[in-house]
Amino acid sequence: MTAHTTISALTNAIPVLETERFVMRGYTDADIEPFAAFYAGERSHFVGGPMSRELACRALMTYAGHWHVRGYGRWMVEDKATGAILGNVGLWYPEGWPEPEIGWTLFDGAEGRGVALETAMASRDYAFNVLQWDTAISLVDPRNTRSAHLSQRMGAVHDGRFAHERYGTMDIWRHPIPAEVEA
Amino acid sequence: MTPGMIHIPTLETERLTLRAPAARDLDPFAAFFASPENTQYLGGSKTKPETWRYLGEVIGHWAMRGFGRWIVCRKGSDTPVGLVGLHEPLDWPETEVGWYIWDGKGEGFATEAGAAARAWAYTTLGLTTLVSIITPGNSASIRVAEKMGATRAPDWDHPRHGALLVYRHPGPGGRI
Repeated sequence: MTAHTTISALTNAIPVLETERFVMRGYTDADIEPFAAFYAGERSHFVGGPMSRELACRALMTYAGHWHVRGYGRWMVEDKATGAILGNVGLWYPEGWPEPEIGWTLFDGAEGRGVALETAMASRDYAFNVLQWDTAISLVDPRNTRSAHLSQRMGAVHDGRFAHERYGTMDIWRHPIPAEVEA
Repeated sequence: MTPGMIHIPTLETERLTLRAPAARDLDPFAAFFASPENTQYLGGSKTKPETWRYLGEVIGHWAMRGFGRWIVCRKGSDTPVGLVGLHEPLDWPETEVGWYIWDGKGEGFATEAGAAARAWAYTTLGLTTLVSIITPGNSASIRVAEKMGATRAPDWDHPRHGALLVYRHPGPGGRI
């Protein structure tokens, strides 16, 4: 067996955010099964699914790795009261994206309680206040009326379209600038 | 593991450094994966956006599993020559040790880095065996597995890639 020596290490952590009802935290292997279950279902068709369990797991790993490539990313959302894993919400800027976006994916059963609104607002606050972004968008499949509606509730306005090499055309929703959000 | 914590050790072998993959590795990584020839046995070529996501996946694997793959450089250099280490997405048969070398082929880098990754898996993670999963026809990779003392086990039928060769590595005491 070839000798090897451990000479140093990269150690890094994802910040934890708390909203009134939810904890937004970094990724762990316990998140793989719920994520794969969501991507096995029809509701994932607005966000690149459905896909196999292996590919869903790999996609989740990309969300985790995004933090270490960009310095920010998305969070897993947990219900403070029950500990249930509700979805994947936050900041997302893969190569080929027009600009950094605020995105949300809620797992089955987590809809209709304002989870996406509360955690997307916290993500936007983080982007504007901690990361000092001066603008933010959300990319939404044109058929995804629920997400379009949520963008509007956050004060975003339609600002053109973006055609992705694999995911097709998405609507660009432009969020209010930081000064308008604070006002 | 603490959710969101990532910890990637840097290893050194006689000739190589195995370090954490990083954003600065995207261009050499993308150049390797853009080539249909290089990726003939690795699932086919990838666009730059696809490679970016793959690089994120490789880093995120460490966060989710507590182990993963390293960028391999010649000692004293930061230029990547390959990607080697441990891999276990969901529904993988078991933990795999794998290797891609794109610069310095034929110099034994895959064997040297693969052996370091295997030793790390045994001493740090306490694993007692590993497999390498190889596309039929990838004779260079089969040679590496054989040089590492791995032997052929029953094939694994991958849902997208079809039948893949499985090589089982000797355990920590050299046991098969």
